[in-house]
Amino acid sequence: MSIGYRDEAIGGESSYTVGILKRIYVHNRNLKSLYIELNHWLDIKPGQFLMVWIPGYEEIPISPSYSDGELIRLTVKGVGDTSKKLINMNMGDRVYVRGPYGTYFKIDDRDKYLLVGGGYGAAPLIFLAHKLVEMGLRPKYVEGVKSISEQLFIKEAESLGLEATLVTEDGSSGIRGLVTDYIVSILDNFDSVLACGPTPMLDKVLDLCRSRGINCQLSYESIVKCGIGVCGSCTLGNTGLLICFDGPVLDINTLNKWRYRGSD
Amino acid sequence: MTVDLGVYLSGLRLRNPTILASGILGDKAQLLRRASESGFGAVTTKSFTYNPREGYKTPIVAEVKAGLLNAVGLANPGYKMMRKIISEARINGVPIIVSLAGSNIDEFHRMAIYADESGADAVELNLSCPHVEKMGMEIGQDPNYVARLVGDIKGSITIPLFIKIGLTDNYMEVVGRALDKGADGVTAINTIRAMAIDIYAKKPILSNIYGGLSGPAIHPIAIRITYDLYSEYRATIIGTGGVEDCKDALEFILAGATAIGIGTSISKKGLNIAKDIVRGIRKYMENEGVKKLEDLIGYVHKN
Repeated sequence: MSIGYRDEAIGGESSYTVGILKRIYVHNRNLKSLYIELNHWLDIKPGQFLMVWIPGYEEIPISPSYSDGELIRLTVKGVGDTSKKLINMNMGDRVYVRGPYGTYFKIDDRDKYLLVGGGYGAAPLIFLAHKLVEMGLRPKYVEGVKSISEQLFIKEAESLGLEATLVTEDGSSGIRGLVTDYIVSILDNFDSVLACGPTPMLDKVLDLCRSRGINCQLSYESIVKCGIGVCGSCTLGNTGLLICFDGPVLDINTLNKWRYRGSD
Repeated sequence: MTVDLGVYLSGLRLRNPTILASGILGDKAQLLRRASESGFGAVTTKSFTYNPREGYKTPIVAEVKAGLLNAVGLANPGYKMMRKIISEARINGVPIIVSLAGSNIDEFHRMAIYADESGADAVELNLSCPHVEKMGMEIGQDPNYVARLVGDIKGSITIPLFIKIGLTDNYMEVVGRALDKGADGVTAINTIRAMAIDIYAKKPILSNIYGGLSGPAIHPIAIRITYDLYSEYRATIIGTGGVEDCKDALEFILAGATAIGIGTSISKKGLNIAKDIVRGIRKYMENEGVKKLEDLIGYVHKN
């Protein structure tokens, strides 16, 4: 069943915006990008997240890999009940989203940016790449994955005209190794690093940027329950920072102010 | 003109009347510390239960008009963790109030003694959680139970004891009995049992179906209850419910509250809301020629 109308047409407000699954891109059996049409325009900035709900399942946070306000793309790896349900949805099925929440990548058009995505953490960075290109900027895009089968957006970055590098842990394609080792050799060519991925990877990027005096903005992942800064579930390490409210995108100055030393 | 925003809350000196309400952020030491550093006059922990609780599955919140529904489900690491949390949370002498939710008198008793021994500055008995069975409204509206509970604990601890009440028909009787048994004050009010349905999903939003309504929607109700309790008992009250700015806070103080619990509005304004409210109250006092905030407590009851 399609919505067939805009929510605004019937007036009123609701907690959730309804989305209809319009298209699926299969990266691999367990990793898919879902193109979802919303019944209500949402102003989502790269790095922000939505709380995504399918009735009967838990609500989970997802940072879109693209949005034009009416069509969003969610790149989802099947790891829990909800994400497995999401990647096995059928065309026309509904999802319910609220948000967007949290901070986003702040862009200064004088800077030379290096985008670094780890695994499906690449999602908000390819969204950001689209925005930067619209602004006339040419960031470098680096994606680190375990193996070629998990590659996500290298071709999309290239189609935007960007220099894109794939790093695989098993050497099945691109450069072999860890993305954090690869970027060491190129970091000095950039003013600022924008990264998203698993926490150990981001902690390593933070260390590299601190030691070289390079700016960075890092988008941290966490279990997020309320999404609005009240339940206290999503603190970053031992700091008092809430990933859903102060983050998910945290810049190096904020992390330094809180003396963040990495999560254990 | 210099004005004094400090208040004495049953013997506890608060540098200002703002208190981080229970249930918001406070089961991690670093978040309580951050709240203290952000300017709150005191902080309240999330309710500790005897055994650790995971809490409910998401969705645990629903944003509704004029408020917020939550059914977190008393998620907490269990009362034995409170000693570590209290010691790590303490900063700048900001009082720490420990909230407790027991499923029977014995649990409440043991936890209250442990809180006292662990350095808590006060305990608050959560007698009104609207979304966990046997840990909430059922006990809070039984005057005999509350009287026994308060009498039992009061004889065993050295720190002030508050009871947190919800919206019930007999709150006057419950509070009266609790005060008779030595309760030092009342936190009024807890969230109100409520629910929300998504009209497209055609399902209740919260995994627990029911949750507690907080925010601006309950503010006038909490003002009424504060007014009644002060009028009848001259009770020491922590007025809680829908405080978003200094005017909401001042309304509570005029109705009879000594201090103000702040919770839901933190989701919109962050922890800096305490500073904003304090700044607003200070300005109001200067404009109105009030030297001591304590002079405003219960002012509407004066002739």
